[in-house]
Amino acid sequence: MNYRSFLKSEWLTLVRRKQDTINALLFFVMVILLFPLGVDPSKAFLEPASGGIVWCAVALSILMAVESMYKEDFNDGSLEQWLTSGLSLPYLVFLKVFVQWLVVIVPLLLVLPLLANMLFFPIEQLMVMISTLLLGTPALFFIGAIGSALTVSLRRGAVLMLLLILPLYIPVIIFATGAIRAAQSGMSYSGQLAILAAISLTALVLSPLMAALSIKASMN
Amino acid sequence: MSVNLQINNFWIERNERQLCRDLSFSVSDGELVRIAGDNGAGKSSLIKAILGWIPIEEGLIRLNGEDITHNRDLLLFDQIYLGHTPGIKSILSVNENLRMYCPNASEVALNEALQQVNLELFDDTPAAQLSAGQKRRVALARLWLTKKRIWFLDEPFTALDAHGVAALEAKIQSQLESGGAVVITTHQPLYHLSPKTVELTP
Amino acid sequence: MKWTWFHRLGSPKWFYQWAERWRGKCLGLGIVLLVLGFVWGLAFAPADYQQGNSFRIIYLHVPAAILAQSCYLGMGIAGFVALVWQMKLAPVFIKAVAPVGAAMALIALVSGAIWGKPTWGTWWVWDARLTSVLVLFLLYMGVIAIQNAIEDRVFADKAVAVVSLLGLINLPIIKYSVEWWNTLHQPATFKLTEKPAMPVEMWLPLLICALGSYLFVAGIAMWRMQTEVLNRERKSSWVKEKVVDYGI
Ligand SMILES: Nc1ncnc2c1ncn2[C@@H]1O[C@H](COP(=O)(O)OP(=O)(O)O)[C@@H](O)[C@H]1O
Ligand SMILES: [Mg+2]
Repeated sequence: MNYRSFLKSEWLTLVRRKQDTINALLFFVMVILLFPLGVDPSKAFLEPASGGIVWCAVALSILMAVESMYKEDFNDGSLEQWLTSGLSLPYLVFLKVFVQWLVVIVPLLLVLPLLANMLFFPIEQLMVMISTLLLGTPALFFIGAIGSALTVSLRRGAVLMLLLILPLYIPVIIFATGAIRAAQSGMSYSGQLAILAAISLTALVLSPLMAALSIKASMN
Repeated sequence: MSVNLQINNFWIERNERQLCRDLSFSVSDGELVRIAGDNGAGKSSLIKAILGWIPIEEGLIRLNGEDITHNRDLLLFDQIYLGHTPGIKSILSVNENLRMYCPNASEVALNEALQQVNLELFDDTPAAQLSAGQKRRVALARLWLTKKRIWFLDEPFTALDAHGVAALEAKIQSQLESGGAVVITTHQPLYHLSPKTVELTP
Repeated sequence: MKWTWFHRLGSPKWFYQWAERWRGKCLGLGIVLLVLGFVWGLAFAPADYQQGNSFRIIYLHVPAAILAQSCYLGMGIAGFVALVWQMKLAPVFIKAVAPVGAAMALIALVSGAIWGKPTWGTWWVWDARLTSVLVLFLLYMGVIAIQNAIEDRVFADKAVAVVSLLGLINLPIIKYSVEWWNTLHQPATFKLTEKPAMPVEMWLPLLICALGSYLFVAGIAMWRMQTEVLNRERKSSWVKEKVVDYGI
């Protein structure tokens, strides 16, 4: 096994399991749907709330996607092979999360214009929303990857993983929606974007290390 | 090639239960070491401890004289480990699985290996459609495709038919003859091999 | 610099004996200070010119909030120590302190709500401090939950260490983000503890309360750690001797 062949097999796996990606997308759409149905379908509510709605839906669907990311690897013995491959476990984790991010985020960005429109989000500001997603979602994936690694060997790990990880998503959601809100009211939002990028970068560096530690402990 | 792996005074505990203490043995080129013991005696755990992914309370491990207790990378690069679950991805085909583990193997070598494990007709089949024994054969095919000096085989004969057992024994034999070393755990009698036994007693 | 103290602190036996000596003193002095601070604060300190007597709950709320944060800080550092130096006592510390810290966070939340009623007219306002204490409480719950979910001790120790460290790294970011969010949404609300220069008669008892609760919590933590150490080391000779001494 080397990094390239690992990356290739991860890619093939995700591409073949299209349904998982589609499910994450459907989940995203459904959470968004709940807001007009459950709260208020008027433009007066939806337009200012749209950034927050999109980001809550994104955070939840990413959690769903990340939650079971190592489950199969754990069950079929692949994790044991990662550990004994002599390759760097943090780097393997990094590659895996990166591929996951790509596969989930691209379709999500594709349906975003439509959904934003349905939420009366001003189309001129769509680029801001896309920027927050591109800069903020890596943090959500990388932080989630730690929770997933911690709970991979537990029987009812899913809820536990949500409990562990969701509080850590708060800053990302706050700054992302803050940026969108600032853009909507014509204020500068580059500061928030910079903070999002900084959080994602930190997560990108630290999380593979912590996830690797957790995987090793889970295999105990 | 020559290889020498020394296990000195291993003390392994799991869930506060002692699996072994002051266990020492060595594995050198041309040697087959069989770890014996009842179910739950700690055979798999011992292999995992050697590979460094479960902690040891005390002990020292040397590879070719070098102390690798705190960093097993040298050992990891030079070994193949096959555990209870063979690490075969069910969504990938047999071919793709082998390509992942052995990216540098040639097409010819790949077909040759598949023939050896009787899977030449299945190379494009998704592993999900294979039986347990066939999956294990896919994992075993890696033994034909990479040259590593030490093999750690944890119950490799499970779910294999008579033909598979014979082929694997022959492969182990040739590994030993070419100067490699093999550590194996199995309850099955070995027909053509005469191992050195390490007994794990509670 | 000599590292012997560090290694000795890592030895469960040495810690047990050390804690045996200091635990009682911490608890005793802590309780004395707490009583002193409370009586002074509740009965003798002057009433607040704006909030009247309701402000006196500060003597409970602020120490609890400080302790909740300090405990998590300690757990995060212990998590780091556990992961990097594999010190045996670090996971024991986390396990012992997590419920105490969670209790402190809960006290801070409840007292904050009680304080909020006369001040804002509602039990809950999305005040920056209250919100971050709520998140802190959830972080504690995460540590406790994963501790309880894992049976294997070695794994559980690693897992709580990772979670505590992860929480510690995130805590400042969360606090900062919540404060930023708060200024965004309610720029001009009345903050609970943001006072222009408290008079000495008000903050001195507060300081005493805080000091007392530090000592009290330290004593409780030592006690809980001792119990855990005994449990973990029950097979070692010094624990067996101890049990024989007690004639059990
Ligand atoms: N994943 C695990 N978590 C905790 N304990 C385990 C785990 N796997 C095995 N053990 C314990 O370790 C001991 C040795 O197991 P193992 O090495 O798998 O035995 P063997 O391979 O000899 O059958 C057993 O008593 C078992 O209870
Ligand atoms: Mg076994």
